[in-house]
Amino acid sequence: MTTQSLTKAYGPVVALDALDVAIPRSSVGLLGANGAGKSTLIKLLLGLIAPSSGTATMLGMDVRGDTARIRERVGYMPESDCLPLDVTAADFVAHMAEMSGLPARAARQRANDVLYQVGVDEERYRLIRGFSTGMKQRVKLAQAIVHDPELVFLDEPTNGMDPQGRDDMLRLIQRIQRELGIAVFVSSHLLEDIERVCDHVVMVDRGKLVISGRIDDLMRGGGDIIVRVDGDATAMIERLAARGISSRASGLEIIVASNAVSGDMLYDAIRDAVVELDVPLRSLRGRERSLEDVYIQTVSGVADAEELAATVGN
Amino acid sequence: MRALVIYSIKRGLGIKKKWTAKITPIILYIAAFVPAVIVAGILAFVGDQVDFDYDDLCNFIEFTLLIYAAALAPEMLCDDRRENVLSLYFSRALTRLDYLIAKVIAMAILMGTIAFGPLLLLWGAKVLQAQDPIAYMFDHLTDVGRILVYGTLISAFFAAIGLGIAAYTNRKGIATGIFIGGVIFMTALANALFSAIDSDARRFLLFVSPMDIVRSLSLWLFGDFNGPDVNILIREADMPGITLAGAVLFVVAIAGLIMYRRYLTEE
Repeated sequence: MTTQSLTKAYGPVVALDALDVAIPRSSVGLLGANGAGKSTLIKLLLGLIAPSSGTATMLGMDVRGDTARIRERVGYMPESDCLPLDVTAADFVAHMAEMSGLPARAARQRANDVLYQVGVDEERYRLIRGFSTGMKQRVKLAQAIVHDPELVFLDEPTNGMDPQGRDDMLRLIQRIQRELGIAVFVSSHLLEDIERVCDHVVMVDRGKLVISGRIDDLMRGGGDIIVRVDGDATAMIERLAARGISSRASGLEIIVASNAVSGDMLYDAIRDAVVELDVPLRSLRGRERSLEDVYIQTVSGVADAEELAATVGN
Repeated sequence: MRALVIYSIKRGLGIKKKWTAKITPIILYIAAFVPAVIVAGILAFVGDQVDFDYDDLCNFIEFTLLIYAAALAPEMLCDDRRENVLSLYFSRALTRLDYLIAKVIAMAILMGTIAFGPLLLLWGAKVLQAQDPIAYMFDHLTDVGRILVYGTLISAFFAAIGLGIAAYTNRKGIATGIFIGGVIFMTALANALFSAIDSDARRFLLFVSPMDIVRSLSLWLFGDFNGPDVNILIREADMPGITLAGAVLFVVAIAGLIMYRRYLTEE
């Protein structure tokens, strides 16, 4: 998937603002707060709504010109309730399979198989009206993959689910990509969900791209450094501050922020400070960032930059 | 689209739904076909000693179609919108226009069974009781043409009004109520105004009286505007058939525009 200056405005409200991003074919998480533009991006990629400006391609096809061909190859599980209540799960999923072009008998067979895979077995002959939130989410997932798509969009798939149901749903999503070979594009505001099931993350905030990259790379790079020295930690913190490096004490350890000086220079500065204070260095290790750290640091970084730009502009 | 047509027909008939959903279609089919079956039975027993005209059945058919369209049109559109199923349909290779066409086809098929069925049954009965059925059949092929024109026009008329209303509310009961109440109110209002106004222009009140337009169509095709039981508004309006057909097509076009605005604008 690629987007170029993709913009969607609803009157004066800009839901997506000149988004430029290239997303590889893998398990991708779309992360952002509520109202960040996640659902808008999914609807634009599916051709459910038209962009105000900009272009997007998916599976090598233009989302405006090849909408029908794209939709044949993707599945969609919306965030909101979208199931008819007075139909059985088996009938509805079979109907959606037929809507995707499967013959009636094959659709029925395929619906039964997929419902079994998502954990709706005997219950599939019950009316959807009587289903719990978790069961409904499974049926929504089943209809999204019943036509064996190459890619499935899952919009807030764990929304409203209890911890056990959420865990089950995340395991299901992992199975979909590993066992069925379907690439997933998961939209969520829950960092743990994305961290657990995705390889790649796209972060958006107030309609703008914050960062996009492999989760491993993002979590590895730029982590703080944890230093432990014998002696006075305060002196060490002051010595680092004199070099323009911010740090703070945390128990017996000193956490050195990585954002002032990068790479080897930071390690050199810590080494020099230890030498100058003449204290024993007990440990020195990088702290791996969580996705939450990445999100907060990047979003706050963008916000600071915008604030600075606004101040300079004034 | 074919899958959606079949699915919509099944839902319209209450198939694979609770038994209560099947009651309305069953009653309406009985109401539409029983008179035709009785007439066919009488013809079979007494032969050509008695003659039934198609217009004798039209009253039953028009009333039944009014109720059927009022019940069916919301069934076609309201649930999908209220339950947000549209987002799933449109994530498939199905355009909004495809969706609407599928719903209109499903509605037309179901309405057609009532609009054509009883009249074709009567035509078949007449053919079978004739002295020379083959000759009768060829001599009265125009009757089939008139039945098809009549059925198509009144089905399109009621379906268009029903779908136009159903496109703007998510509640089936409200859509049904507005449809039946609106048709009855407009018919009563037109007739009341006709009685109150003393001018030649009052004949045009026919165009705002839905049931009288439908009645006029059946009289144009099968009956006589000057018959003893004909409503005075219909008799005095004495509209040419082509004008009546034009009025129906105008209503269909307006309803089509309403649905276009409701569904084909993208958000």
